[in-house]
Amino acid sequence: MRRLLLNKRFLTAVTLLILLAVIVLGSLPGSPINSLLKPVGAVVNPVQKAVKYSGNSISAFWAALTDGIAIRNENEQLRAEIAQLQYQLTQNEEAAIRYEELQEAFHIREVFSNYDIFGASVLSRESDEWFSVIRVGAGNSDGIYLEQGQSLAVVDVRMNLVGRVIEVNEDDSDILLLLHEGFQVSGKVNAVNGATFLIVGDASLKQQGLCLVTGIDPDTIPNVGDEIVTSGDGGLFPQGIPIGVIESVDTSNELNITATLRPYSDIEDLNDIFIMVPFEEEVQETNETTSADS
Amino acid sequence: MRRPQQIRKFIVYALYLLLFSTVQVTFPGILTFYGIRADLLFVLVVLVSYMFGFYDGIVFGALAGIIRDYFSAPSITTLDGTVTTALGIGLFLMVAVAAYGSSFFTVRIERNFLLAFLSVVTATLLYKVIGHILIFLWSNLVPGLSYNMGLSQIITRSVLPQTVLNLIAAVPIYLLLRFAGPYKKGVNPVLIDEKRKGDNSWLTM
Repeated sequence: MRRLLLNKRFLTAVTLLILLAVIVLGSLPGSPINSLLKPVGAVVNPVQKAVKYSGNSISAFWAALTDGIAIRNENEQLRAEIAQLQYQLTQNEEAAIRYEELQEAFHIREVFSNYDIFGASVLSRESDEWFSVIRVGAGNSDGIYLEQGQSLAVVDVRMNLVGRVIEVNEDDSDILLLLHEGFQVSGKVNAVNGATFLIVGDASLKQQGLCLVTGIDPDTIPNVGDEIVTSGDGGLFPQGIPIGVIESVDTSNELNITATLRPYSDIEDLNDIFIMVPFEEEVQETNETTSADS
Repeated sequence: MRRPQQIRKFIVYALYLLLFSTVQVTFPGILTFYGIRADLLFVLVVLVSYMFGFYDGIVFGALAGIIRDYFSAPSITTLDGTVTTALGIGLFLMVAVAAYGSSFFTVRIERNFLLAFLSVVTATLLYKVIGHILIFLWSNLVPGLSYNMGLSQIITRSVLPQTVLNLIAAVPIYLLLRFAGPYKKGVNPVLIDEKRKGDNSWLTM
């Protein structure tokens, strides 16, 4: 028995079987497995913040240093001062851009008055092609709750659709990006009585930063350059959130006309996002609409 | 093993684990090509398990997997169409990779740097190929979910770039583990004992 327990192949097989059971259990709704990862955050979150801060400081310092090289040649004495000023300027420009972005973000409140808007920073990005959920720093403790069958839209600072919330934890939430193949949203051309269709993430287009547009009616084919916004059909997303523009249309198969869409949101360069949480009355209406749809 | 050596081992492992896992998800632009990024943590687990043996690899791999699941779990579409995060897949992947790395040609051939890189290449190829097959099969099971990548796209846009990027990342990680790793001279003394007993081949690099 002892020999069997020390056998590496046996150990590996048993461990992997247990882990398979963990995966299955973890995918069940309300599984306690999900809460097991909470203590991990206590260890890794401070480290990640430190790494992020160091990286940002180094890149800011490096930018200041390279900016100062030209000045250094002109005047030895002024170099340090100018480099310092350049550094401060970079910081101020960053702050100014951020201020403008936040100002724009405040307009979200005016446009979608039935929604509470929760701002959050992106904590961690995708690990690889498949480990692709991103984590943001807002959760139950901020007042965000995800009901069964509900979907919370996530927009960037310019109010463009980024994705949706798929999991809300105590202090953070998991976001599914709109490029992911599991993502679907009903969209329409941003015009009066604009044609509606389905926008889905696609594995083959994801790396080019594009989404697939399906369900196109042959009589209402969108044109290249058309702006697409959420249609609000199904009640999962509010109507009118900008998604992106049509980049190409494929009419080679009349029975399955498709198009590609380039999202407005710069997914690769996300720092801050906003989660749109409907007010309670809105949630009830949404649930009624969803059940009527289904 | 003496106490200072053990302390060094734990500190170095903890440091590398936290550093590589956080860098991976904090600076996604490091070593990327056509939307694919080098998987630093994956490479680290393969190399640790190949260079320092089964038990180091499995423990390190399990911890790396837990952190990966915490930072960026994969999302799966369930049979009823709900998209959810699937915890445990990172843990499973990293333990499996560690088991693979620790057994990669280590019984008959002495561990060496060429095989270390080969272990990274083969582990990446296996991971990507099995991953694409599983996703393809799952996509066919779930109504409404499609997986439109053709074979040539899978090879040229996923498998090959990932393998090349992981191989590039393996060079500095190998050097780190060899010259600033958890063991003096980059050799796990336990493996030398196993070699003496005839259980395993020890490290000659």
